Amino acid sequence: MMKLSRRTFTGLVGFAGAASAFGLSACATGPKVVVVGGGFGGATAAKYVKRYLPGANVVLIDAAKTHFTCPFSNTVIGGMNSMAFIERSFDALANKYGITVVTDMVTAIDPVTKVVKTKGGISFGYDKLVVSPGVDLKWGALEGYDEAAAELMPHAWKAGPQTALLRKQLEAMPNGGTVMISAPGNPFRCPPGPYERASLIAYYLKTQKPKSKLIILDAKDAFAKDKLFKEGWEKMYDNIIEWVPAAKNGKVVKVDAKAGVLETDFDKFKPAVANVIPPQSAGAIALSTGLADKSGFCPVDPNTFESTLHKDIFVIGDACTAGEMPKSGYSASSQAKVAAGAIAAMVMGDKPAAMSAINTCYSLLAPDYGISVSGVYSVQDGKIANIKGAGGVSPSGANYQFRKKEADFAGGWYASICQDTWG
Amino acid sequence: MKSYLVAIPVCLGLALVAAPAARAGSANVMADSCAGCHGTGGQSLGAMPAFNTKSADELKKMLRDYRSGAREATIMDRITKGYSEAQLDAIVDYYKK
Repeated sequence: MMKLSRRTFTGLVGFAGAASAFGLSACATGPKVVVVGGGFGGATAAKYVKRYLPGANVVLIDAAKTHFTCPFSNTVIGGMNSMAFIERSFDALANKYGITVVTDMVTAIDPVTKVVKTKGGISFGYDKLVVSPGVDLKWGALEGYDEAAAELMPHAWKAGPQTALLRKQLEAMPNGGTVMISAPGNPFRCPPGPYERASLIAYYLKTQKPKSKLIILDAKDAFAKDKLFKEGWEKMYDNIIEWVPAAKNGKVVKVDAKAGVLETDFDKFKPAVANVIPPQSAGAIALSTGLADKSGFCPVDPNTFESTLHKDIFVIGDACTAGEMPKSGYSASSQAKVAAGAIAAMVMGDKPAAMSAINTCYSLLAPDYGISVSGVYSVQDGKIANIKGAGGVSPSGANYQFRKKEADFAGGWYASICQDTWG
Repeated sequence: MKSYLVAIPVCLGLALVAAPAARAGSANVMADSCAGCHGTGGQSLGAMPAFNTKSADELKKMLRDYRSGAREATIMDRITKGYSEAQLDAIVDYYKK
């Protein structure tokens, strides 16, 4: 069932006075820009297309009425915040920016006739299309792990009911239970995410269930900010967290969710709570539209994020392959601005500006212990690359005040990026 | 199949009330990427400093000092090294225009 926002309703009844008071500019004469997906990438793209091209008719389509952010979802899993804390509304996009927000699922995109179709039976023609569907989980890529298994062993890698389910399981677990996290191989959404999650679950265990343990079974031998995570774990969670790399038989190869068992090549484990983060691909709509290559992600022009496979479609965020930029909310938001700038330039008959983007990812190891990684990106030799000498991770061996400051900045970052994206 | 185009006839030249289309020059996209931490237009909501508490000259000096290492930081030292001094000045000018 398709639902239109109040903004659209105002437009439909044709109450022009009210519409103009809201700055509505949904005109047949303006360029039609459709955005698929209301996460960090899509919502930012919709807002910034409007900022750069106020006359554009921008439609944002998302299957859900609100968006639960993956950033800070680990604080919900660790018991520090509620689900409401990570829930974002699309209302400001509609009411403040005049974006037409549609709650419906996009089922097909025709890149030739330039039409987007929804489950609700509506067709949207576009001049430029932004596709920002995030990732989908590759069901079955890890033997035994499908949608039914995820109800028993949550992935919680798309925030929402899965986040609440994992939290509920941790609350129900007795003191002395073992939690296991199965971390995937690269590439995947939010490279430091599994390790932040391990930290915040360990914080909960340490303070509420101190006889418990947490084991990370990893398909890799190294991970984002690993030196800094290990330093913090040694300080705070030495008797709680154990990380098992692939080289030490850490890779989970099979799951039996009903029996509660995780299998590696040589061992079987039966933890009290299992969090299985499976391999991922670009969101389903990107795959069915033929926007992905054999990697399962979408190749794009590094200067504009326009698909190299279909003209006038821009793929941003976790779904695209963006050189050295990691799959993060900040990357998606920064890429959205590059794409919005390119769309505006193309519509105006200008040459898109030089690509310039940032990523900053904070991870919390405890409520008062934060670390960060950042990068500043440009196109170098035809690829998106970090600018030499810029970016990098927080210093090793920093004092309590430094880590506390970065934890405070993590919260500040979250408040600001949510405002920049949906507010 | 319903057509979304039903919404179009109600448009009465309302684009005219919108601000003139801003040209997406390089400073916009480059500068707007700062908003991820500092909020749209630099109006930070949380622990990140907002841009309206300092003058353009003060901000330019701060950014140059982060870049040279003269001013201590948790993260701005790493980020400012991705820009030339002229680019940092242009970013400040964009937010202070």
